[in-house]
Amino acid sequence: MAKTAALTGVNGLRDIRRSPASHLAEALDAGSVRGQVVLNEGPFQTMAGVRVDPRSEGGSRIAAVTGGLPVRCGEVTGTDSISVLWLGPSEFLVVAPEAAHDSLGGTLIGSLVEALGDAPGQVVDLSANRTTFELSGPQARAVLEKGCALDLHPRSFTPGTALNTEVGNIPVVLEKTGEESFRLFPRASFADFLGRWLLDAMREYGSPEVP
Amino acid sequence: MADLLPEHPEFLWRNPDPKKSYDAVIVGGGGHGLATAYFLAKNHGMTNIAILEKGWLAGGNMARNTTIIRSNYLWDESAAIYEHALKLWEILPEELEYDFLFSQRGVMNLAHTLGDVRESMRRVGANKLNGVDAEWLDPQQVKELCPILNINDNIRYPVMGATYQPRAGIAKHDHVAWAFARKCDELGVDIIQNCEVTGFVKDGNRVTGVKTNRGTINTEKVGLCAAGHSSVLAEMAGFRLPIQSHPLQALVSELHEPVHPTVVMSNHVHVYVSQAHKGELVMGAGVDSYNGYGQRGSFHVIEHQMAAAVELFPIFARAHVLRTWGGIVDTTLDASPIVGTTPVENMFVNCGWGTGGFKGTPAAGLTFAHTIATGTPHELNKPFALERFETGALIDEHGAAAVAH
Amino acid sequence: MLLISCPNCGSRDETEFHYGGQAHVAYPENPNELNDREWAEFLFYRDNTKGAFAERWLHSTGCRQWFNMLRDTVTYDIQAVYPMGAARPDKSAPAPESGTASTAPDSTTTGTAAPSIAATSTATSTAPASATAPEGATK
Ligand SMILES: Cc1cc2nc3c(=O)[nH]c(=O)nc-3n(C[C@H](O)[C@H](O)[C@H](O)COP(=O)(O)OP(=O)(O)OC[C@H]3O[C@@H](n4cnc5c(N)ncnc54)[C@H](O)[C@@H]3O)c2cc1C
Ligand SMILES: [Zn+2]
Repeated sequence: MAKTAALTGVNGLRDIRRSPASHLAEALDAGSVRGQVVLNEGPFQTMAGVRVDPRSEGGSRIAAVTGGLPVRCGEVTGTDSISVLWLGPSEFLVVAPEAAHDSLGGTLIGSLVEALGDAPGQVVDLSANRTTFELSGPQARAVLEKGCALDLHPRSFTPGTALNTEVGNIPVVLEKTGEESFRLFPRASFADFLGRWLLDAMREYGSPEVP
Repeated sequence: MADLLPEHPEFLWRNPDPKKSYDAVIVGGGGHGLATAYFLAKNHGMTNIAILEKGWLAGGNMARNTTIIRSNYLWDESAAIYEHALKLWEILPEELEYDFLFSQRGVMNLAHTLGDVRESMRRVGANKLNGVDAEWLDPQQVKELCPILNINDNIRYPVMGATYQPRAGIAKHDHVAWAFARKCDELGVDIIQNCEVTGFVKDGNRVTGVKTNRGTINTEKVGLCAAGHSSVLAEMAGFRLPIQSHPLQALVSELHEPVHPTVVMSNHVHVYVSQAHKGELVMGAGVDSYNGYGQRGSFHVIEHQMAAAVELFPIFARAHVLRTWGGIVDTTLDASPIVGTTPVENMFVNCGWGTGGFKGTPAAGLTFAHTIATGTPHELNKPFALERFETGALIDEHGAAAVAH
Repeated sequence: MLLISCPNCGSRDETEFHYGGQAHVAYPENPNELNDREWAEFLFYRDNTKGAFAERWLHSTGCRQWFNMLRDTVTYDIQAVYPMGAARPDKSAPAPESGTASTAPDSTTTGTAAPSIAATSTATSTAPASATAPEGATK
């Protein structure tokens, strides 16, 4: 197992890290229906919870690091490698690739802390708080609609937006990344439940359609 | 179960017009109003009295509850009043000469977590000290008493045991109301339906009459038994009650062969189930979160309770919901009732029984009648005075009453 | 199931929200001077209105912000949604604002300006941001 020096991480902890739905990896693969709907658990991400008044100076400094702050429900801002999801009028979730984490040689958390400075608000490293499910394919929306009350029709829910809501009765952030692809961010303790719930919802697409 | 229901007479009570004046007027013709009038007449010789009901007799929560009767409450004050009620339930069919199908099939309260287990065992101990029959059952014993219960430990909240009260059970709520109504009528009580109280006549701080849609009626005393509408009536009379009215829902399935021999309640996963005499499964859960006088609640509450029921009773997955409904329950912050005097002279209040007042009906009637007749509370309802919210002597029964029953 | 228009997120199912009881109940200004009766009123007594009722709701699975709502407790009709700290919007009832919540800004978002109950999942308006929790927002 060749690992770069950076990814060895703090005290080698990175090597023993398991993602919250890793035990479902085979099941997710087996339950995916190519050409219909595919589900997998995404790679680890660096995530930071930010609370700041976006109109304040602290807010502007944070925005400079993240490539802007979304101003309304649903909006996602960011750069090529950073997404900032709107959670509330003064609460945001910053999502970036794992390597952006300071323990792995990145600078994201540190720069956010520094940008906030003494301003009212907070920056919290939430990288282990949520996992990511990636759901895609022509039936992905239909799967989600079984357990999500939002209007997911493309005229209302467009790529590049994200909503804090419930899927299968549990709280998730639901991001639409493409016409037929979604990312779901459940908290780690719900990963097993949501993974199994999605698999169950996907099952019918593995059988021939009943006319 | 699937027993033949007893025949009841065609005629149970008169439908008199209101008189000009009464010695006492009871507002609300649910179980509590009826029981209060019955004991006023029987124990205190007050027969020149009327029950005023804005709708039809026992069409409120009395017609909507899931009929669970038990007395295994934690605190001394509650155990005393509910156990007294249970003893009355045991003799009432004979006293009222009406078989209202009181069935002492036992009630189980399931424990699903270590916290539940500790709370339950503590309650069993407290019950025994208060002379209330109570046992702790391990999962195997639970299964023996109710074979359709899923006691596997691979479910989200496995059954870790249960408290069991063998003398607890269910009764047929409509028949209970009719039984009281017939006796009230025989004793001379006027039961006046379609008579809504819209205000009160006062002389200074003393109530002297009630205003209704059928005219003003003079009365020496007024007893409020209006359950979900208690705050509305108190406001008309000029005082406040620490009550919030919430929707509480229940449902029944279509009829089934006898499959469920007892009553099972789970505070933790929030459902309680019994099988009525005719064969329908009767289930309920907790209140809807918001205040409501609509006699209906939100569907997700029903969905949640059915999910819990199917996990505990896998065979219910094949049952169908026949109908759902809601009542308006009057909740207090300590989950205990208020029975006693009010800031208005000669006006008395019985309310706050919330999600669990059916079982208390006979004791509410007995103690409230005593309070109205003598002007002072009975030993059993003394602790349940309105003043406790000022003195701080609350009777916090959330542990034993967290789920509706 | 109530369909509630969060001022920040638009129309959402009731399951995403948490009920906060009667609105406009101020914390006593001088707690030390309260007698038992006054404490009882503050701790245990709330209005239990049959009809239009001003109450607090928290969008707990959404933006995690509190707001006020005017709702009919009989029909369950939602008549207005308005910010914490703003006065109750219905004209007839002189807001029982016995020193409520905050210095009540003359809010522009009154009940009538609440997001429509139309089937949009995202809010159409740009909601005013607030970094500090509104006073009285704890339950
Ligand atoms: C779904 C549900 C399930 C329940 N399950 C259980 C259970 O299993 N076990 C248990 O112990 N308890 C249970 N309860 C609680 C129990 O039903 C109540 O606590 C109890 O019925 C209240 O007393 P009551 O019968 O007098 O109320 P009600 O029958 O509601 O009587 C009050 C009456 O007052 C009348 N009234 C109101 N305003 C006026 C007015 N202005 N003028 C004249 N009349 C007026 C109403 O029309 C009504 O008929 C349940 C309740 C519900 C809703
Ligand atoms: Zn919101």
